[in-house]
Amino acid sequence: MFSSFRQTMAWLHTWFGLILGFVLMVAFFFGTLSVFDREIDRWAIPETRFEPQTMPSFDHILLPVLRQVEPDQKEYERQMPWLHDFGQGPMTPRLELPVDEYWAYTTHRDPVLVMGVGFGVPHPRDPAAHNHIHGDVTIDPRSGVLVPDDALKIGSRWFYPMHYSLNWTWKYLGYWIVGLAGFFMLVALVTGVIIHRKLFREFFTFRPGHQILRSTLDLHNLTGVVALPFHFFFAFTGLLIFAGWLYFPVGNTLLKPLHDLEHQREALEIGLPYERSGHPAPLASVDAMMAEAQRRWDARGMPGDVGFLVVRHVGDVNGYVSLYRAGSDRVALVGEGIHFKASTGEVLREDPPRTVVSEIHDFLVGLHLQHFEHWFLRWLYVLGGLLGCTCIATGFVFFVEKRKRKHAEAGGQGSRLVDALAVTTVTGMVIAAIGMLVVNRILPSDLIGKGDWEKGRLGTYPAACPVAQCPGNGGTDQSCLEGTVSGDRGTGGGCSAAELGYHRRPSAQDRAH
Amino acid sequence: MVDAAAIYLMGATLAALLGFAWLALAMEVHWRQVFGRVGPSPGTRSALRLLGGASLLGSLGLCLLADHASMAALVWFMLLALAGVCVALLLAWRSAWLRRLWPG
Repeated sequence: MFSSFRQTMAWLHTWFGLILGFVLMVAFFFGTLSVFDREIDRWAIPETRFEPQTMPSFDHILLPVLRQVEPDQKEYERQMPWLHDFGQGPMTPRLELPVDEYWAYTTHRDPVLVMGVGFGVPHPRDPAAHNHIHGDVTIDPRSGVLVPDDALKIGSRWFYPMHYSLNWTWKYLGYWIVGLAGFFMLVALVTGVIIHRKLFREFFTFRPGHQILRSTLDLHNLTGVVALPFHFFFAFTGLLIFAGWLYFPVGNTLLKPLHDLEHQREALEIGLPYERSGHPAPLASVDAMMAEAQRRWDARGMPGDVGFLVVRHVGDVNGYVSLYRAGSDRVALVGEGIHFKASTGEVLREDPPRTVVSEIHDFLVGLHLQHFEHWFLRWLYVLGGLLGCTCIATGFVFFVEKRKRKHAEAGGQGSRLVDALAVTTVTGMVIAAIGMLVVNRILPSDLIGKGDWEKGRLGTYPAACPVAQCPGNGGTDQSCLEGTVSGDRGTGGGCSAAELGYHRRPSAQDRAH
Repeated sequence: MVDAAAIYLMGATLAALLGFAWLALAMEVHWRQVFGRVGPSPGTRSALRLLGGASLLGSLGLCLLADHASMAALVWFMLLALAGVCVALLLAWRSAWLRRLWPG
C-alpha cells in the first residue's frame, strides 16, 4: 500500500492524529486547567476564598458535623434497591441506615474540607461487596460550618473530570474514549518522531516568515519535540492510572476470587479487622492519634500533615482509624499510613516500606496527579499542557492547509469539515470554559441548582463560536481557524470567520500563494 | 530554606536557557541567524557544545539542590521544554539578543 515505512507511519500519524486529536485537545486543554482546579473552585465559590487549612480537630470540629450527615437521597433511591436483599424484608428507611465509615480529605491547596459518611446496608444482597450509601459534605474547617454543596466546584468537579472522562459517565464511555485517545497519543508521538526527518537539526527551528504550511509544521514539530518527555509520560501515566481498575479490571472479573481472598488474607496478616464484630465500642480521641501519627512521620524524617483520614467500622470493637500523610515534598503520594484501634487509640500497624514496583508505580501516578507542593512545577505543567494544545491545533491547521486548495478545486468538503470541527473544538472549547466562568459570576449565588445551570450552559457556548455561522457549500479557501486565530490575513484584521467570505471561490491570487 | 530553593530554581532556569542557547549557536543555521555570517569554526563549535552541555547539567544539579531527587527530575525536564521553546522563539524574532552569549 505504501512505498516506505515512513509513509506508512505518516498515514497512521495523520489519520489517527486527526480523528483522536479532537478528544486529545479536550484532554489537554482541560488537563491544563486542572493543574489549578482547586484555585478555579475558589473563583466559582467566592465564599471559600481564604487560606488553605490543615486538617482541623476531628473531635471538636469534624465529628459533630459528621454525626449530622444524612445518606444522600438520590444515591439511596438509585443504589439501595440494588444493594438490599428483599428476601430479608423491606428496605431499611434512609434515615435509619447505620453509620459504618467516616472520612475526611484535604490538600495543601484546599481552604475547604470535603468529608463524608459511608452508611451500611443492614441486609445486603452480596455481603462481600462494598455496601455503602454515602453522604458527603463540604465544610469551612475553621468553624465547621457547612458550605453549600450544590455550588458547583467548577475546577475540581467539572473541568477536572472533563479531562479524563469528558463528563460522559454513561457506561464509562468518556473514560474509554479518552483512554483510546491517550493510547493513540503514544502512537502519534512514536510515529511523529519517525516521520520527523530532522529531529535534532531542527530542534530550535521556527520560521514564522515562511509560508503558512512551513511555519505551521515548524510550530507543530517544535511544540511536540521540546516537550516530548512531558507528552509521552502524561499520556502513559494517564493510561496507567485507569489501567488497573477500568481498562484491565482483572481484579474485579477474571481474578475476582483470588483478589477477594487476597484482601481477606491481607486483613488477617496485617491485623486490621476486615469486618464488624457486632460489639459496640466508643471512639477514642482521634486528635491524639493525629498527633501520634505526626510524631512518627517526624521520626522517619518525613514530617507532614494528615491529608486523609478514615474511620472504619464506626462504633464497633473492630473499628480502626487510618491516617495518611498529605502529599507535599515528594512526587509520589507517600501516604505512610498509620492505623489505630478506634476504641483505645493504640497503634495497630504502620504501613511497611513500599516495594520497588510500587515505588515506581507511585512515582508515575504521582507525577500525573500532582499532589505535591511545588508551584513552579505546576506552572511548568501548564506550559507543557499549552504546548500540547498548540501541537494538536497546529496539526489540524496543517491538515487543512495542505488539502484545502485541492479539495476546493475538486469541490470536496473534506477539509472544510475538518476545519469546522477544529474550530468548534479548539476555539469553542476555550469560549465554553470562559463562558462558564463568566456565567458563574453573573448568576446569583443563592440560585437553587446553580451548578446545573452552569453545566447546562457549557454545551451551548460553542454555538457562539463563529463556525456556527459558516453554513453553505462550495469551496473555501480561507480556514475558519485562521479566521479566528489570526484574523488579519487578507481582510484587514480583527473580523470574525463568518465575515471572511465563506462562499468565495479561491481567487487567482490565493492560488498563486 | 524556601528562599534558597527559589534561588536554586531561578539559577536552574537560567542555566537551561543558556545551555540551549549555546547548543543552538553551535549549529550553523542558527549561528548565521544570530551573527549573520558563516560559522562557527570547528573549535568554536566544540566549545559551544561543551559549554551548552555543561550548562544543562548544571541546571540539573541546581534542580537537585532545590528539591527531592524525584521532583528535581520532573522540574528539569519541564525546564528543558521551557528553555527549548524560548530559544526557538528568540531565534525567530529576536535573534540579535543571543549575540551577547558569545564574543564571536
